[in-house]
Amino acid sequence: MSRKLFLFLTLIIVTVMLVGCAQQPAATQAPAQEAGGESQAPTTGGETIKIGIFSPTTGFAAADGTSALQAAQLAVTMINDNGGIMGKKLELIHYDDAAKPDQAASIARKLIEQDKVVAGISGSYSGATRAAAPIFQEAGVPMISAYAIHPDITKTGDKIFRVGTLASVEGRVGAELVGSVIKGKRVAILTIDNDFGVALTEAFKAHAKDLGLDIVLEEKYPLGETEFRPIIGKIKEANPDVVYATAYYNEAANFVSQAKDEGLNATIVGQEGYDSPKFIELAGPAAEGVIITTDLNRDSDRPMTKTFLEQYKKTYNEDADMVGASAFDAVQLIAYAIKTAGSTDADAMVKALMALKDFEDVATGPFYRYTPEREVVRPIDAQIVKDGAFHFYHEFTDPDLITP
Amino acid sequence: MSDYVLSVAVFVGIWVTLALSLNILTGFAGQVSLGHAAFFGIGAYTSAILTANYGQSFWTGFALAILITGMTGAVLGLPSLRVRHDFLVLVTMGVNFVVVALFKYVDFFGGAMGIVNIPAPSLFGHTFRGGAPYLILVWVYALATLGVSWYLSKTWTGMAFNTVRLDEDAAAAVGVSVPRFKIYAFAISAALAGGAGSLYAHFIGSVFPDTFVFLESIAILSMVIFGGVGTLRGPIVGAIILKAAPEMLRFVQDYRFTLYGALLVLMMLFQPMGLLGDDSWLWTKLQRLFRKGS
Amino acid sequence: MSWMQNLSNAMVLAAIYILMASGLTMVYGVLKVLHIAHAAVYTVGAFAGVLIYTWVGNFWLALFLAMVISGLLGIVIYRGTYFYMLDSPRTVPLIASIGLYVMITDLLQKDFLMGPYQRAFPAQGAGLPRIETRFFTLTPKQVLILLVAVALMALLYVVLTKTRIGLGWRGAAQDREMAASVGVNLNRVISLNFFLGSALAGAAGVLVGVYNNSVFATMGDVVSYKAFIIIVLGGMGSLPGAVLASIILAVAENFLVATVGYVLPRDAIAFLVLIVFLMYRPHGLLGKE
Repeated sequence: MSRKLFLFLTLIIVTVMLVGCAQQPAATQAPAQEAGGESQAPTTGGETIKIGIFSPTTGFAAADGTSALQAAQLAVTMINDNGGIMGKKLELIHYDDAAKPDQAASIARKLIEQDKVVAGISGSYSGATRAAAPIFQEAGVPMISAYAIHPDITKTGDKIFRVGTLASVEGRVGAELVGSVIKGKRVAILTIDNDFGVALTEAFKAHAKDLGLDIVLEEKYPLGETEFRPIIGKIKEANPDVVYATAYYNEAANFVSQAKDEGLNATIVGQEGYDSPKFIELAGPAAEGVIITTDLNRDSDRPMTKTFLEQYKKTYNEDADMVGASAFDAVQLIAYAIKTAGSTDADAMVKALMALKDFEDVATGPFYRYTPEREVVRPIDAQIVKDGAFHFYHEFTDPDLITP
Repeated sequence: MSDYVLSVAVFVGIWVTLALSLNILTGFAGQVSLGHAAFFGIGAYTSAILTANYGQSFWTGFALAILITGMTGAVLGLPSLRVRHDFLVLVTMGVNFVVVALFKYVDFFGGAMGIVNIPAPSLFGHTFRGGAPYLILVWVYALATLGVSWYLSKTWTGMAFNTVRLDEDAAAAVGVSVPRFKIYAFAISAALAGGAGSLYAHFIGSVFPDTFVFLESIAILSMVIFGGVGTLRGPIVGAIILKAAPEMLRFVQDYRFTLYGALLVLMMLFQPMGLLGDDSWLWTKLQRLFRKGS
Repeated sequence: MSWMQNLSNAMVLAAIYILMASGLTMVYGVLKVLHIAHAAVYTVGAFAGVLIYTWVGNFWLALFLAMVISGLLGIVIYRGTYFYMLDSPRTVPLIASIGLYVMITDLLQKDFLMGPYQRAFPAQGAGLPRIETRFFTLTPKQVLILLVAVALMALLYVVLTKTRIGLGWRGAAQDREMAASVGVNLNRVISLNFFLGSALAGAAGVLVGVYNNSVFATMGDVVSYKAFIIIVLGGMGSLPGAVLASIILAVAENFLVATVGYVLPRDAIAFLVLIVFLMYRPHGLLGKE
């Protein structure tokens, strides 16, 4: 290997970088309608309404980031196929943030300044979303967090909305599901050690106390854990009839399979973190009988939910998950806001969203309304795994329960 | 300068500081660390907790971040007195894991919810979160770190670091107190990284444990080696290139980390001393050019 | 659950650790390189395994081919990178290794390879029986892992102690220059060593993929540091040390979780054990000065 070869290779990389920088404006010529493409950029300048999205499409969070991006792109394509908004096409501009706060902070500025987006969507995790939110807020550009659940995200300011259900609501509904529907008495709680798990468990415990549930065991475990057998042994000793286990589908699949192997008989109750076809694929028959709380009712006859599930499968050859549905809805909400406001003015869009009532054009809906804290009020579903698929189990609509 | 470029420049400045501070430990004193993100995190958390939870000003938070991280660095450097070489690399890695785990499992550090609402610094009544003033603040601190590095490399301490790096036994034989200088190196390196953590926390406005994981330590060490370990110019250039690269490489979208990895491999294959290391091709050329010019 | 059941589960975990770490120990033994890309080889092995299994439906063939592919990848990595860095400071191959790991996992995540999503590896226990005794139960998957790990370790033992290859390896591990001067073909020994070590990593990847029924591009992240904890505890380059360390670590982790729960995450506990231990024995369990 000679010095010449080194120079040659370095030259190639540097050239690629430079060409890339120079090409950036040119790359924005690609047609926006191309679903599943990487960079969804404008047809011609000035004719489109730009929406920005950041999501991790590389690194450990790539699966969620890809789902979010694909679903958002699907929503944009569907809206454009129906003639766009106010005669203009929507255009989605995506950057990969690798789920890192510093990248999200830079991307937020790039979307606002260079791409001049009228609204932003976070298809990323809490840390990155929390870093980007103040930048959107200060620039006066509305932002919708698709599935990041940190309670402080929407507290950033009046321009920041959320699609996903607040963990404090979902945890409360979880307790209601366990206490009033499944009629469990003895509950073991398993908490994943991030904001998602911690917030859910807090809310669950608060409501479980009201319902008089007996919490026989409480354990925390690290994100990404694959070996649950020792903890399952402890759960078995505590002999609960329900295990409330906060998890994402990966941990959930391992937990559920191993619980079956070890002969744990309690009903396992999960949340939207389980809500991915991957959970059922990875857990196999062990997933049968698992009940989760989620916003996505797969047996729903609401047209938008059906369309979303069908179109997603058709376009990407994968079944849609909860993360995707949330990002899809974020685009739907922005489209609605622009349409209702009749302009892309930020204050008018915010006003439109705040006045939203019984909104049906979302996959995870219907949205009854937004609270003054910009959190959504919607019915929450319980789904059960039966014959290798999520099916309707129960719906919670009691306002006391579902209002944040 | 647009806010976007400004923001990238702020992060580049913070990472230049991190690379320079690690260079004191690894380049000068020869203690290879894969746990530098721990000190970055300790600084960020110190400042975040003091300002967001205890109402202190940014400046107090910043100063105490440097001080407390430096002291922690001295303590966490103690294992280096017992273990050497690759064992030490693993110990520093372990320190990183344990520190992040504490951030995540101890409620005082905010646990999984992190620390939010970290105020922006203010000076003479002006608050600046983004914008040019923050950029200047970050780069002044980076320059200060460079100054400390330069000073160390010129003084007796620097020479002592050199002997510790080259041959610990020989250093001890000529009367250099190896333990003392190892702890010095850890403390100074950590303190400077702590300041960078504080600047990061106040720029982003929130901190979460996941930012300071082992992967970040890997990234910082890569910057130092990529640019040229042991020199002053190397870590600066390494950090600028590698921190800006993922932004510059955005057009390749999903392939930017493939290219990033390839860049590291190629550099180590053909220029093991780093881009601007002492015997590197580029540095030799630059020196010749400079000599011709003068 | 009885402590016997806990112990049997811990032994399965130990078997996985042994496969992850023994390959790395061999590589470290001769090259003294912090070979982080070992984790990428592990992921490639798992991916090759699941692909071949999906095509042909035979687990044993999939395991064998995945090991061969991983082994070849190991040789390519050695001949393409470390070979040129034998005399460089230790940070040089370390950074190259990090670069390789980043590059390979990022490529694996692309749609034409694995894509970003997890894949199921539904090989179950490859037809092996479930073992039930009064004290503990082993699922078919657990039987499979124990069986493969024991078989591979026995094979490795024979190769390293009874063949000329093994003699060369032990020579090279003790003193590279000395071995070369007495006529050991260093390059061949190291290449072969990389092949065997990487094949073991591939086997570990396949077995973990089956055990958790999931294969994904970033599954090596844990291995990248976990394998190091084990080889450091074992004494850097000592195979018996690595085996012993795997068992101790697996048992300690599982029993700690089963009794007091997660005071800290599993990996942080492992690192704490490592740091405290190294303060007493700075060269590991069976390491030499």
